[in-house]
Amino acid sequence: MTVRADPQMLLQLQDIRTYFPTQDGIVKAVDGVSLSIRHGETLGVVGESGCGKSITALSIMRLIERPGRVVSGSIRLGDRDLLTLSDDEMRDVRGKTIAMIFQEPMTSLNPVFTCGSQIAEAVALHEGVSGRQAAARAVEMLAQVGIPDPKRRADEYPHQLSGGMRQRVMIAMALSANPELLIADEPTTALDVTIQAQILELMKALRERNRMAIMLITHDLGVIAEMADDVVVMYAGKVVETSDVITVFEQPHHPYSKGLLASIPRLGQKRHRLEVIKGVVPNPLNLPTGCLFKRRCPYAMPVCDTPPPFQQVSSGHVSRCWLTPEGGPPAVGEAPSREVAEEAAAALSVAQ
Amino acid sequence: MARYIARRLIQAIPIIIGISIISFLIVYLSPGDPFDRFRSNKVSPEVIENLRRVYGLDQPLPVQFVKWFTAFWSFPWNPTAWGYSITDGLPVRDKIFERIPSTLQLMGVSLFFTVVIAIPIGILGAVRQYSWSDKIIMIVATIGYALPTFWLGIILKQIFAAQLDIFPLFGKYSFGKEGDVLDLAWHLALPVATLTVVGVAGWSRYMRASMLEVLRADYIRTARAKGLASSRVIFKHALRNALIPIVTLLGLTVPALLTGAAITEAVFTWPGLGGLGVSSVVDRDYPVVLAFVMMGGSMVIIGNLLADVLYAVVDPRIKY
Amino acid sequence: MEGAQSRPIPVLSESGVDEVDLTPVRTYWQLVRQRFVRHRLAVIAFFLLSFLVIASIAIPFLTGNAWAKTDLTLINKPPSLIAPFGYDHLGTNTFARLMKGLQTSLFIGLSAVTVIVVIGITVGSIAGFFGGWVDNALMRFVDIVLSIPTFFLIVMLVAFWGTGNVWVIIIAIGLTGWTTAARLVRAEFLSLREADFVQAARALGASDRRIVVRHMIPSALAPVVVAATLGIADSVVVEASLSFLGFGINPPEASLGNMLTGAQDFFYRNPLLAWYPGVTLVLVVLAASFLGDGLRDALDPRQRVEV
Repeated sequence: MTVRADPQMLLQLQDIRTYFPTQDGIVKAVDGVSLSIRHGETLGVVGESGCGKSITALSIMRLIERPGRVVSGSIRLGDRDLLTLSDDEMRDVRGKTIAMIFQEPMTSLNPVFTCGSQIAEAVALHEGVSGRQAAARAVEMLAQVGIPDPKRRADEYPHQLSGGMRQRVMIAMALSANPELLIADEPTTALDVTIQAQILELMKALRERNRMAIMLITHDLGVIAEMADDVVVMYAGKVVETSDVITVFEQPHHPYSKGLLASIPRLGQKRHRLEVIKGVVPNPLNLPTGCLFKRRCPYAMPVCDTPPPFQQVSSGHVSRCWLTPEGGPPAVGEAPSREVAEEAAAALSVAQ
Repeated sequence: MARYIARRLIQAIPIIIGISIISFLIVYLSPGDPFDRFRSNKVSPEVIENLRRVYGLDQPLPVQFVKWFTAFWSFPWNPTAWGYSITDGLPVRDKIFERIPSTLQLMGVSLFFTVVIAIPIGILGAVRQYSWSDKIIMIVATIGYALPTFWLGIILKQIFAAQLDIFPLFGKYSFGKEGDVLDLAWHLALPVATLTVVGVAGWSRYMRASMLEVLRADYIRTARAKGLASSRVIFKHALRNALIPIVTLLGLTVPALLTGAAITEAVFTWPGLGGLGVSSVVDRDYPVVLAFVMMGGSMVIIGNLLADVLYAVVDPRIKY
Repeated sequence: MEGAQSRPIPVLSESGVDEVDLTPVRTYWQLVRQRFVRHRLAVIAFFLLSFLVIASIAIPFLTGNAWAKTDLTLINKPPSLIAPFGYDHLGTNTFARLMKGLQTSLFIGLSAVTVIVVIGITVGSIAGFFGGWVDNALMRFVDIVLSIPTFFLIVMLVAFWGTGNVWVIIIAIGLTGWTTAARLVRAEFLSLREADFVQAARALGASDRRIVVRHMIPSALAPVVVAATLGIADSVVVEASLSFLGFGINPPEASLGNMLTGAQDFFYRNPLLAWYPGVTLVLVVLAASFLGDGLRDALDPRQRVEV
């Protein structure tokens, strides 16, 4: 099944599978993930630790280290499939068209080079300017990301900056070539809450200014609520639900999404116990057959032993679950066939 | 930084005193004395007593120690600061200084080649981890590291000097060719090769380990995500960090430049400090032995300090 | 498995909360052995070393004083059935002498390591346990010993107190080599005093010193065992160097080192003479090194350094 390249789409992932062979078996970190991002859109990717969201991002950037591999699927950027590019061509994409920032600003910057020089390196690489111009631009970028006294900071080393400032430096570095897509992998998780707010504000401002798409990976639903236009929920290497942010928060369909939202304690609510999703994430080397969530699902039914298809719950809202769009069990004999499911997935990419 | 160095030097003083006391005790409390070989029926006891008095050996130990220790440090300007050798009466300081250049040549050249060869090998092994080249490097390095230097020296001598006659068997210069640089190089070849083989085996492992650890770091992932070419990531971002422990290791190797070659020098009859040290022990030439120990100990202290200073120079995160 | 109590415990699993029997299937030592066996090289090294030790005991025992017998009619004769390595420059059966030399070298190496371990554990545990000025003083002492060029110090000790005396050699190597072991033990004790799992054990009601010791000792012993194994390689080489220079074991006694001295004069007539003791020495060093590496991974997997 192929999907036509859609000019409105900046990035289209189609059935990406990234596997890691280990001594104890093959870990299917990403197992059939499809998603798409429009120009200027912010897509939130949500899921627990280990669900494959970071690996998906690294797969897009083709930064998966041996022995892991993207074994199948396609990543369409414009009219090119990133997986078919040569190493040099891919390098050209990295940093220039797609930039990525990571979770730990403390260890993500090289400790022996000054902040300014690290940004200037990116500038010189992508814009082909001289050393001096690149250094000046680096100072500009530092100012743009809201670092006070940028000239002095540019000559300082990462360990001399606070966590929040380091993340700003990372953002400055990523944005230096004006990429069309910024992949942010848990950018605020390692930061204090107040700094978190500042960084998110910064990202919003930059997004406005540069008309930049963002793929925001996080397990923090609050961040999603604040930043995302659309949301992809992942579980155990697969996408389980996709929709716009309002729908996901107000009318989640997949039991996992429901569980995630229910577990957020709300102000003003009086409870004795917190809601939890019972059980733990399945061992990637020992995945259950059928629906991967069935052992933790309060709605589990016998049909869940077969892998559930994507169902269109409403316009632009799909969910990988046997439950009907209304939330009830499927009538016997009416389980959607494979073709119907595929059509629904196709409809997903177009309808958005 | 200057204050740090000063502080370390002051801290070193008790250690130096400790070294001197221990070596003094080992030397003077041991059975026998340097004049045993002179003792025979033909030599009257007064002559021996005279000798002992000349060398100050008749004085109580603490007095001897203080006299020796205080005189020791005047060596930069005083040729008799370290006393006179019992074997030939020459000033100890001159005897030792005379031999220093030979040992420095041997160790210095070996260290140079070791580092120049080991670093690229280590980088290669790390960058191509798990590949065939890496596995071969690791195996060869492990075996090389296990080779005792003196046996390797003997074997090299046997193959290249004795059997194939490509290199000379011993010494530093051929007769009548003293000062000839080419001749020196020819004589240096085998001993340097011996030390270099074992040295490369060790250093390449360190380099590889350091490089591996650096390549796993987050900032390397960032560098790649920026779109940098692989060579740039490795040789600029990774190497600069991986060299930090190597540089400090160089500082720690400094003492070995003077003290490390005793056995190799013995195998190749190289006229360096090692030979002097060993023969002075055999002859119980106490002044020479003591001077050796003090020199060696001081070098170790300086080497440690150098390693720490270099660390601060190379790693911007370190501030004293 | 011996003595472990069997009791189901509530545990979080995929389907919710289960009652599961978490009795350890393997004890600590079984786990250690399991991890060790995974290193094929270390296992090979273990068998090689054992084989060498056994051979060095058995062969001299079986051949009596063949290693000392000189027979001028047999000088440099080629190998035969009873002399698989031929005869040396004095007409002695090379193989027999080699095994006797191996025995001497191994004996010295293992004994020296014992001295190292004993002194090292003693000094290290006192320093680590008491801390404070005791620790400070002891560590200054370690610094002093470390600052003196080690090999030269050994040469001094042996030459002044007894060249060729096996016990002097053992003590000399031991007295100069204990510093690493002491530091390791001290480090372990210092950190273990505050370690989380020690406090956890106490919180669980194990104010019983025995349990704490049962946890602390394996942790502290592990690096020492590794250092000791690697120390065997070192000590054997030091002894060989000493003998080579003439300070260690001297002829007619046999040691791998002095066999090499003798072989030097006969590069032309009997070149292999230099290879037998050398290769044997290298085998011992390699075996001890790989064994040490394997033990390090088996006893303390978190210490894994990929060298």
